[in-house]
Amino acid sequence: MKKWPLFLGLMLVVMLAAISCNKEGNEPAPIAQLDRKPMLENYANNFIAPAYAKMTTDVEALESAVSAFVATPDQTKFIAAQQALATAYLQWQKTDLYEFGPAEGAQLRSYMNTYPVTVSKVTDNISSGTYDLESFGNRDAQGFPAMDYLLNGTDMSMYTTGANAAGRKAYLSAVVAKMAEKIKAVNTDWSTYKSTFIESTGTDVNSSLSQVVNGCVLYYERYLRGGKIGIPAGVMSGTPSVGHVESFYSPENSIPFAVAALNEVKNFYTGGTAASMQTYLAAIGTKDDNGMLMADLIQQEMTEAINSMKGLNGTLIDNINNNRTSVLQAYDEIQDVVPLLKVDMVSAFSISITYTDNDGD
Amino acid sequence: MKQKIANIASAEQFEKPVYSASLAVFRVVFGFMLFFSTVRFWLKGWIEELYINPKMFFTYWGFEWVHPLGQYTYLLFIVCGISALFFALGLYYRIASILLFLSFTYIELMDKTNYLNHYYFVTLVLFLMMWLPANVNFSLDAMRKPQISKRFVPLWTVGSIRMMMSIVYVYAGLAKLNSDWLIEAMPLRLWLPANNDMPLLGPLFNHLWVAYFFSWFGALYDLTIPFFLLNRKTRQYAYATVVVFHLLTAALFPIGVFPYVMIVSALVFFDSKDADKFVQRMKEFWPFLHADDDKDMFGYKPKRAKLLRSMFVLFFTIQIIMPWRYLLNKGELFWTEDGYRFSWRVMLMEKMGYAQFIVKDAATGNKITVNNNEFLTRNQERMMATQPDFILQYAHYLHDEFTTRGVHNPEVYATIYVAMNGRRSRLYADTTVDLAKETDTWRPKKWILDFDDKIHGL
Repeated sequence: MKKWPLFLGLMLVVMLAAISCNKEGNEPAPIAQLDRKPMLENYANNFIAPAYAKMTTDVEALESAVSAFVATPDQTKFIAAQQALATAYLQWQKTDLYEFGPAEGAQLRSYMNTYPVTVSKVTDNISSGTYDLESFGNRDAQGFPAMDYLLNGTDMSMYTTGANAAGRKAYLSAVVAKMAEKIKAVNTDWSTYKSTFIESTGTDVNSSLSQVVNGCVLYYERYLRGGKIGIPAGVMSGTPSVGHVESFYSPENSIPFAVAALNEVKNFYTGGTAASMQTYLAAIGTKDDNGMLMADLIQQEMTEAINSMKGLNGTLIDNINNNRTSVLQAYDEIQDVVPLLKVDMVSAFSISITYTDNDGD
Repeated sequence: MKQKIANIASAEQFEKPVYSASLAVFRVVFGFMLFFSTVRFWLKGWIEELYINPKMFFTYWGFEWVHPLGQYTYLLFIVCGISALFFALGLYYRIASILLFLSFTYIELMDKTNYLNHYYFVTLVLFLMMWLPANVNFSLDAMRKPQISKRFVPLWTVGSIRMMMSIVYVYAGLAKLNSDWLIEAMPLRLWLPANNDMPLLGPLFNHLWVAYFFSWFGALYDLTIPFFLLNRKTRQYAYATVVVFHLLTAALFPIGVFPYVMIVSALVFFDSKDADKFVQRMKEFWPFLHADDDKDMFGYKPKRAKLLRSMFVLFFTIQIIMPWRYLLNKGELFWTEDGYRFSWRVMLMEKMGYAQFIVKDAATGNKITVNNNEFLTRNQERMMATQPDFILQYAHYLHDEFTTRGVHNPEVYATIYVAMNGRRSRLYADTTVDLAKETDTWRPKKWILDFDDKIHGL
């Protein structure tokens, strides 16, 4: 019995000795930054909700531009619709990474941006006049890629003098209506989901942090790195396939879209001036071998990825055809961020990925 | 002192009579714990999630023939649950304990993704329990056949369970004596802040010193607790510490029933006289149980005793040596995990990996990037990405899978990044090695890249 105080005392002494020997141990614990709630508030209020709100506005603007064009088709209205599409499609790059919570439930991405568009499905739908845009088989015949084909890959005259112009106009309207329906639903759901999101401050599988991190990392790896660059450049298959670039019928947009998407991921990670994954990771304090905070290293690598993408002149298609080495270099820069997010950040956050028991070993 | 050591070492000391109630109480609490654990597993839908849904299963070396049984897997759990119940009640104890050992062990061998130290502990304890006279008191067997009822058993029967528990604690403590744990407070430094929204204690976890305190206290606790439990004077305080410590770990970490297993198992350290008093009182409440106040002592038949003695000596020799097997390998234990499992390294590191596999057609040179989610569950993928034996088994699986998909002589390459205990992730495996051609042997795996850092300590 008497041994206990002795042991405790001894332990405290050794412990304090260890802490004082250790440089990092001298830093005061950054308590406020380790609170997850401000980060979730920042994300919900300043990133996710505004992104869906703006996305909704842009799709509604596209919808009205399309309906004006369909009512009395002319070149001016056609160009206006094209511009509205470009605006909305760009905003999509700043929205797509938030596919968790309501958007994940609605499978928003698959309705909005499954590319490449399958043109034969679009033309079949137009000629048959009967189609169900809810059906899984039509995911690659709607959304932004279909709009891109219908407005940028099709001559204006097809809507006036072309065969089945009426059917074409109807399909154009139907596609944009479905997009508006989907995005509005998610936008509405977010307004109620927001408080749930902010209050779920844990680190278990269902927690908001887990949702955000897993959603973003999946997006970055599969849809940004893989979808926008890797697949068209043939990183996985060895053979390039430019038909798989995003925004194929307005190819000048592919690189700006990729850059916008990368920027959004970076902005989201850094969180502007408020609490974010970066500040939270900085508070945990993991460092690389040179003593640089992992939190800052990730930001730096993201900047490099953005710059390498920005450095490509001309369209992505041109670059893949004539300058593939540079595209592959840009891909590598983008890829460098993946393990940092998926391994370093996730393990520092100690997010659970499963409901089952785990020894942590 | 010398005399004391000589006494302990002498055979008579081992054969010293102690109250059989100690073993009986342990049987009851351990059995019920396993019963509830099985029910819990079932109710959470884990049988389906872990043993029916996955496409492939990671097998243990030498036990490749153990597979889930499809829908019959449920039957296996029924056998396990019912035999746990019979085990607890001491009804047909011999058969129940054998069935429980076999079914429980079979379940654990089905997929090493789900390896947990405490499951291994349960398997070992069940192995011992098959041979011990745990049903001679406070059991339905003793009620059915009063002639088997015995109030005393040899000390070594209870002692072997205490020994097993002590090994777990002490080795778990020794494993913590390393620079990451003691000097860096890793991985608790990462894990504790993740729980900072817990009521009451939560805010404490934001402080670095708390991670240090937990690390040092944890190591000291593991190393010393068996001795404090064995000592009559410190026992009750030590047991209180056991309860508090394990309840705290239960609140903090997703380690399931392990804390409760340890809490109830530690009861075996209590004086057998106290257990006897408790059992005698229980028998007053339940008069149908055979109440024995005789001086009968359980004894094995001489031949059997000799055999058992050798077996137990061998068993404990293996148990004491096995955790050290990693010393034969040069690489960093935490990195290569050669000798990591089955050595009581509990909650010791935060290791996370990311593995991207590429299957190459040897004839056409075509490359296919593998989507792990197509073949593995998230948990399997997570385990696979940091453990070499998983990586190899998966590579072979991909080889076979893509052969049937028409790829000619598939070559399997992997880009794997692993981060450990807060260090920056680094490349784990040689990306130019065709992993499908590598085999899992006892020798070091050359395709694992160097850790490039040193963790000092045991």
